[in-house]
Amino acid sequence: MVRLITHNLLACHVKGCNTNNFPLQFKDVQIELREAEFNPDFLKGFMPKLEWKALVDAARQLGDTTLPLEQPEMLDDEFLKNLHHVLLEIHVEEGVMTCSNCKHEYPVSNGIPNMLLAEHEIG
Amino acid sequence: MSRRYLVVFAQAHNEFRIPELRSIAELHGFEFSLPSALDDQDPNRPYMVLYVQEEEHARILAKRCILIKSVYEFYGQGSSYEELHQNNRASRALWSRYILDTSFRFLVTAHNHKIPQARQREVVESFSYMKLMGKIDMKSPEIILACLEEYTSRHGFVRSKHEGDGQFRQVYFGRLLQEGTARSLIAKFDVKKRAYYGNTSMDSEISLLMANQALASPGKLIYDPFMGTGSTAYPTVHFGALVFGSDIDGRQMRGKGNPPGVLRAASQYGTVSRILDLCTFDVTRNPWRRGALFDAIITDPPYGVRAGAKRLGRKKELTPSQLATFTEHRMSPRLDDQPYIPPTKPYELSNLILDLVVLARYLLKPRGRVVFFLPTVTDEYTEIDIRQMLCEGMEVIANSLQDFGSWGRRLVTIRKVNDIQYPPPTFLEHQKGLATTHIPAHKGFREKYFQGFRKEE
Ligand SMILES: C[S@@+](CC[C@H](N)C(=O)[O-])C[C@H]1O[C@@H](n2cnc3c(N)ncnc32)[C@H](O)[C@@H]1O
Ligand SMILES: [Zn+2]
Repeated sequence: MVRLITHNLLACHVKGCNTNNFPLQFKDVQIELREAEFNPDFLKGFMPKLEWKALVDAARQLGDTTLPLEQPEMLDDEFLKNLHHVLLEIHVEEGVMTCSNCKHEYPVSNGIPNMLLAEHEIG
Repeated sequence: MSRRYLVVFAQAHNEFRIPELRSIAELHGFEFSLPSALDDQDPNRPYMVLYVQEEEHARILAKRCILIKSVYEFYGQGSSYEELHQNNRASRALWSRYILDTSFRFLVTAHNHKIPQARQREVVESFSYMKLMGKIDMKSPEIILACLEEYTSRHGFVRSKHEGDGQFRQVYFGRLLQEGTARSLIAKFDVKKRAYYGNTSMDSEISLLMANQALASPGKLIYDPFMGTGSTAYPTVHFGALVFGSDIDGRQMRGKGNPPGVLRAASQYGTVSRILDLCTFDVTRNPWRRGALFDAIITDPPYGVRAGAKRLGRKKELTPSQLATFTEHRMSPRLDDQPYIPPTKPYELSNLILDLVVLARYLLKPRGRVVFFLPTVTDEYTEIDIRQMLCEGMEVIANSLQDFGSWGRRLVTIRKVNDIQYPPPTFLEHQKGLATTHIPAHKGFREKYFQGFRKEE
């Protein structure tokens, strides 16, 4: 936790921050790798929901370069295994996620990101 | 629907029985039908004969339904033994294969009554026409044949032992097919034995029922937006789904110490890798990038008695100068949950529920379900309360009461019926005429609770 599948679903939600508010940028992160159950059907079903470029970039930033730049047509086993690892087995335990647009910092501690907004940031 | 099976229910949560059967049948892609006579569908009776297509379906129900004690292959019933035997003879084709050399034992028992031993023997002997030739084996018989007598309960009536023996409403006969195995999960997930829990934790039987209503199973992604100490999550991940949890108050999910409490509890059950992530945010100010993500939303919303419903904001807005000072202080953020806790304002339950349904419509996949508890005042509740919370594309498929007397809570299951991608909710106050038209019984629940549900004069 924060896994990259989650990172791919969270956008900055500060009031008025509507463009370039995704993906959040990782900073000063500590990572742990933990095994998860491999479920190819889940992965295939989830692929259309992903922002692919954001996922590949985040993975590369955390040192994993196994994913191709474009979503492949053929979902072979090797690709699915790599996708599984990137989405579910890399955990950001500590660090910060920063919005590229408004620079809001969302801190992560013990694997739990704090996405609460302050008073001046809500609508 | 050719085959008949007799279901013996646990004596709990009667209104949840049939919704649970329907959910598990839907999850496994089969159908069943209830007995045709209205009287025989009564969910308050302990036994019910179901019609299913295949034996395997009856087994699936027994293994997954929390409220099933056991399932029997059904041979006959009657309001007298005469009638029962007549029906059982007609079912000969079902049991004739056990005549020759199957070891067996009889079980003669009753609901709401204790049958004297002498009559138990009498009952067994009355089945002698079956001419079972296998050996009687009390320890490990190949089949168990059961005779189940149903007595109507006599509330508050102390009966002397055996009084009214034989005056049953109905008697059933069949062969034990499958003991219910899911009931043992109630003890497994017992809150008191859990590595992490709090005063908002929910009884394990109820959270198991919720997981079944949510059709939890491998490959599904399920969300609890009011995660708290995670009670809804443990049964859900036990059944193979992944769970995402969020809460406005990170301390509820973390507890004291490290790793966070919810993960400690999930580790105890061997399912920690299925807690997908935990996240601190106000669900009315949520960071979801898109919708159509979840197979189900399963949650116990805050209704103010133990954990107040709240959302970011202040009851009274700050003046511009106050806000400026405040912003300045805020500009040096620190790296964990503790130092800055933004102010919150109360979040009225009926608004919260309306928001929850619109949020679910946005976040659920087509045909996804939202399963949640709605506390309500028993005397004031009407069905309109539930219909009023719906919006286009959402339909109620179950609504079961857990009755605490003057108040109760309803487990409501609502399904997204289409595959339209609806916009996220605005979370603006639902002022549109709630006060002028129908006021649901759950409005102002917290206040009513603390007033002891007295009517205002
Ligand atoms: C009834 S409790 C849920 C209990 C939970 N099922 C458990 O096992 O502990 C409701 C939870 O909702 C949280 N909550 C209240 N208002 C909220 C909001 N606006 N957004 C997110 N969470 C909120 C509370 O912090 C509390 O933990
Ligand atoms: Zn931003």
